[in-house]
Amino acid sequence: MTSNKQNKKAVDLSLRQFIKNLGSIAGGTALLASTPWLQSFTTDKLSEIKKEKARLAVIGTGSRGQYHIHNMLEIGHLEIVALCDNYMPNLKDAAALCPKAKTYTDYKKLLDSAEIDGVVIATPLNWHAPIVLDALDAGKHVFCEKAMALAMDECKAIYSAYQQTDKVLYFGLQQLFDEKYIKGIQMIHNGLIGDIVGLRCHWFRNHDWRRPVPSPELERKINWRLYWESSAGLMTELGSHQLEICNWAMGQRVPVSVSGMGDIVHWKDGREVYDSVNLVYRYADGVKINYESLISNKFNGMENQILGNKGTAELAQGLYYLEDDNSSPAIQQLLAEIQDKVFAAIPAAGPSWRSETKGKYKPHAIVKNTAGVHSGASMIGADADGSDLIMSAFAQACITGEQAKNIVEEAYVATILCLLGNQAMAEQKTIYFPEEYKIPYMKF
Amino acid sequence: MMINSLQYYNDTQMSHGSMGKIMGTRFEVILLDKSEDAASAIWHDIQQELMRLDKLLNRFDPESEIAKMNTQAFLHPVAVHPELFQILTDCRIYHEKTMGLFDISLKDFSKVVLLESDCAVSFLSPEITLDLGAYAKGYALQVIGGKLKKYNVLNAFLSFGDSSILGIGNHPYGNSWKVSVTNPFVHHEVLGEIDLQHTSLSTSGNSPSYSNHIVRPDSGRRNNERKLVCVVAGNPVDAEVLSTALMVATDQERQEILQNFEIESFKIYNIE
Repeated sequence: MTSNKQNKKAVDLSLRQFIKNLGSIAGGTALLASTPWLQSFTTDKLSEIKKEKARLAVIGTGSRGQYHIHNMLEIGHLEIVALCDNYMPNLKDAAALCPKAKTYTDYKKLLDSAEIDGVVIATPLNWHAPIVLDALDAGKHVFCEKAMALAMDECKAIYSAYQQTDKVLYFGLQQLFDEKYIKGIQMIHNGLIGDIVGLRCHWFRNHDWRRPVPSPELERKINWRLYWESSAGLMTELGSHQLEICNWAMGQRVPVSVSGMGDIVHWKDGREVYDSVNLVYRYADGVKINYESLISNKFNGMENQILGNKGTAELAQGLYYLEDDNSSPAIQQLLAEIQDKVFAAIPAAGPSWRSETKGKYKPHAIVKNTAGVHSGASMIGADADGSDLIMSAFAQACITGEQAKNIVEEAYVATILCLLGNQAMAEQKTIYFPEEYKIPYMKF
Repeated sequence: MMINSLQYYNDTQMSHGSMGKIMGTRFEVILLDKSEDAASAIWHDIQQELMRLDKLLNRFDPESEIAKMNTQAFLHPVAVHPELFQILTDCRIYHEKTMGLFDISLKDFSKVVLLESDCAVSFLSPEITLDLGAYAKGYALQVIGGKLKKYNVLNAFLSFGDSSILGIGNHPYGNSWKVSVTNPFVHHEVLGEIDLQHTSLSTSGNSPSYSNHIVRPDSGRRNNERKLVCVVAGNPVDAEVLSTALMVATDQERQEILQNFEIESFKIYNIE
């Protein structure tokens, strides 16, 4: 564990250093302007608070809550002072991880405690809005898991509360702190792949998405993801990250409409939410996001492809490909053979090899030695995906009181898009972005 | 600019330069035994040179020297860059040595007047357009090969889209660079093998995806035969010119043309 711990600290510092460097290189200010939430997240700012610790509570201590607790235990400038869950086995497991923390079964009582600076909310989706609003009202800083809320009106209420509060509000969009996404999006904004002409995001798994239920009356509590009263299904649980990435890549531009189809194709086990969704989000200029998620076949894994007229970025893998970058297969063979110390004939002699007939593209890494690629298989979270860093940034913000820019807006846009997608699938018609949910941040 | 990349392989002291959209295809070079810094400087020079040559010789670029000449030379004599003039003079010699089968006018080279005293070109027919497609890659290999010699590169492999290749020195684990000729109509079928050592190979022919692109100048007939012509020569321009000319030559013409050249070998593969 020690080496892992050191490793995590090193990752934290190295991204901070990376961000600091961004600010000091030529043009870096402009780059940093496209990721404004990072501006307060530097080594200098961290050293300003070196003696202080944010006192945080975790509300919702299931699998994702415990994942956060593991990350939080590695962060020097916070301490976990309280835990809350109304499901005792989860609360007990969390308490075992942080024995000094007070335990609660009612979050409202936890919010009454003056010894808590901020809360980390990792509850089922239907609880996000009430707890976020109550916590801000109680004067707590708030980190809430994505998505923002179960309903569009709840998102609007949170957005309004955010505008009025002096407290810090974060949502768990960890990719905003993932170096390969930060660099990848900046490369896209710098024209690496040309004009964005399409976006394709998918998330495939082969898993029923169920948790074991000790007794039948706990089904809806434990498998909350499967029922509309507590979940918005694949869109909010998986799609929200991906639609946020699209929004980020498109520079705050938001689709004007969405159409889609959702069905229960395979897991016909009494669940209500779709296990198969296909949607098309359309921007005003005709550029489209194709979104697809299926949880009964994992062949395609998870990917966020940004398609440009000059290249393609696969941001989940941290790779990009260029339209006119195809090395001849013979040359590739020769390079491989020389590395393997093999001398053989390569199939080089032929009528002019024409790059457009070749199907394979050469991958380039966005970040050298990229680690922690998210295969999409984990239901809880991947290593080095920015989850620890966003938590570190939140804890820092709890001390400084400095709200990171754009995070709430990005979470709002992504969640509304997910919920509009669900509406389009439920009503089986094209839904146009409703006026009442537009905010000034959005560009259409 | 990212499509023009140089990749360095530390373990083997090998560099791979790759440049897209040049001379109508992709140029690739493998340089051996040079440090990363040295290879980087050489690659920079190669890219500059290739872009310069493309600007001189690519008739599809309206800004190129040859394109400007093509649009005006029927109206009045056009003074051209001395290097282009020398190339056109060279092409006239090749035209003669190939019994007219290598013809950059694709029609009638006799309608092209080269005015040596003014370094100018004039066309006697409005239908003339000069196209260096069957010459330029060989010329570029010759120029780049000369540069690599100056940089004291002893071992390197250069290729324009697999069809025009120059092997300098040898493969690090062999005594030459070895390439195989593959059947464009049958996947993975090898027709023959060729060793290159300070020699170049040019291949002309038709493939399923690219056919009817070689024209016999006197008849104007497009060649659609299922065959490949491979020419190995010390001089890359000789190889380039001959692979095209021999593609459309009759057996008799081929015999006569080859007497005018000193080449290492040639091979015609008729594909059933």
